[in-house]
Amino acid sequence: VALTREEREAAAAKSGSSAERVAPRLGSPDRPTLIRIAVIAVLLLFVLLALPQLLSAYYIDAMTQVAVYSIVALGLGVLVGRVGMVSLGQAAVLAIGAWVAARLLFATSLPYPLVLLASGLITMVLGTAVGLPALRLRGLYLALITLMLAGAITVVIETTNFPNGGHGFLGYNGGFIRIPSIRRPSIATTDPAMFRYSVIVAALMFLLVLVHIRGRPGRAWAAIRQSEPAALAAGINTTLYKLWAFALASFITGVAGGVLAGAVHYLYSIDFPTQNSITLLAVVLMGGAFSMWGAIVAALLYQFLPALLNNWGISNDWLTILFGVGVLQVLTTAPRGIVEQTPKDLAKLGRLLMGLTGRRTAEARSGPGP
Amino acid sequence: MPSWSDFQPFIVSGLALGGVYALSGVGIVVLYQATGVVYLAFGAVGAFGALICWSLTTNDGAPDWVGWLVGIGFSAAVTLAYGMVFGVALAKREPLVKAVATLGLLLVLFGLMDLLWSASGGASRSLSLPTDNGGFMVGQVQVDWTQVLGIGIGVAITVLTGAFLRFTKLGTAMRAMANDREITATLGVPVRRVEAAAWLGCGALAGLAGILLADLVALDATTLTFLVISSLAAALIARLRSIAITFVAAMVVGLVHDLLTPISSVTNYRDGTPFVLAAIALLVFSGRSVMQLSREEA
Repeated sequence: VALTREEREAAAAKSGSSAERVAPRLGSPDRPTLIRIAVIAVLLLFVLLALPQLLSAYYIDAMTQVAVYSIVALGLGVLVGRVGMVSLGQAAVLAIGAWVAARLLFATSLPYPLVLLASGLITMVLGTAVGLPALRLRGLYLALITLMLAGAITVVIETTNFPNGGHGFLGYNGGFIRIPSIRRPSIATTDPAMFRYSVIVAALMFLLVLVHIRGRPGRAWAAIRQSEPAALAAGINTTLYKLWAFALASFITGVAGGVLAGAVHYLYSIDFPTQNSITLLAVVLMGGAFSMWGAIVAALLYQFLPALLNNWGISNDWLTILFGVGVLQVLTTAPRGIVEQTPKDLAKLGRLLMGLTGRRTAEARSGPGP
Repeated sequence: MPSWSDFQPFIVSGLALGGVYALSGVGIVVLYQATGVVYLAFGAVGAFGALICWSLTTNDGAPDWVGWLVGIGFSAAVTLAYGMVFGVALAKREPLVKAVATLGLLLVLFGLMDLLWSASGGASRSLSLPTDNGGFMVGQVQVDWTQVLGIGIGVAITVLTGAFLRFTKLGTAMRAMANDREITATLGVPVRRVEAAAWLGCGALAGLAGILLADLVALDATTLTFLVISSLAAALIARLRSIAITFVAAMVVGLVHDLLTPISSVTNYRDGTPFVLAAIALLVFSGRSVMQLSREEA
């Protein structure tokens, strides 16, 4: 009996092949890989060169946010999709990154890439310090404690506020009448340039994560996701690799926070409520936590769709409702998210249409009897 | 450092808040025990109930008790419906998936609330219970009946739920399901019906907590929705197991939160109390190995 493509895929998934599928292809890359690289390169060039010409200032702003949040979604995707750890606090981590970057940008005249690196590293240290004890917990408790920590971070940031050029450690001055804006990279002071800058940073972060996934950490993560006791038995240092995933996710989220700080010019604690962490998890699950494309879809859902609806005068509340329904749908019927579900559904639809027309021609052929 | 008399009023308000946290925490623990679901939409469901209650009594001039009943009834119905559809669909999945799915319900309700009762434009609502008016003095401290109600309901629900789980047939069935769903079903317990009862009860508690918190804290969708995190803290300190520890933890969380109010250096950080306490408790009490945990999760 010939298996359908889906059955084969399901069988492959069952035998734990997500690890195999992302297994490193060493030596000369084969054709599909080359084609994939070419497609990505063309897409990246289009986004960098053509997109800023095509879009209005409003949508360029939105797309800059998409670039920033695709990094955040990627970090969460690594945790959820690769290692199987759900974090409900990534928006709070982003807030930390943005805070650190803003503080550095006001306090120093360091070049922007250095500030990004520093905010990434500092966020990484903070995220890992928080994650270190939390790693003794698993599954449900880890998710809940990250929710608690996100709540705590939100409370702290509401009180300290984001730096606005004031003095002291916090750098906040409530008495400013005219608040100085957070500076942007010197090569990206205009909105389209900032958009290109954030896309390039995002591309670098995707590359960084890809290197990890293709390498030893990726294989360790896949093993941990399948079964932590089994990974432990296989001699994998599970604590190290879980911490590594936390550190990587915190680092890129911190970098994203740094880009965000410059892109928006002004940061307010009200923009980082606890619910953002929840919405973020929702869009990452909807986009597909197992694929890196899923992070881009998630960011589009999270930042582009609201801009679009805003433009059309539709309340964003509908989006919140959609995300809620999306989470329920993803968890009950389509665990791999939009990125992997859509092609499947399209294929199914295609077969259905083929089946219908096929039946019709068959009917026509057998036709009315004599 | 503020003097003792500055703290006194906050003891009462802290206990009242703790009472409502206890009531929410107990609801969450019982549902988790019976179904394995950490109901993160608890706050959103309660907020929705409270807003319906507000609409009925303030806008439509319905008598107060109608508003309360409809609000609590709505919360119970939504929770039951969710349990019957998604609770059943996800019954065999791991606890993490079940908990994250309730975030879906949270988002749906949250979006709907913002559509129906928009908070933008500075619209503020308040729900006051008739118990706000009366009161009495304890020493120097004014105590109103809503605070008494909060403490009283917290104690009553904890005691009643404890007795229910201990002495009734349904309660015994719930405890059995907490141990092993499959074996309980084999023994002839109508598992679905017991779960339905747990969902319904948890939903009703959510509605009750929503209305009480709307009075004690604020009638605002965001605030109420995320207050669940605070009551979840109490449930987490009890490791989602003991309702007695949940009660004590909730009282401590409520007390510490309110007692920090007069201390000027930390007063702005007091909303972080539940998170910090829960984080410490989880980290201190969780020194178990991966192997033990995996056996538990299996």
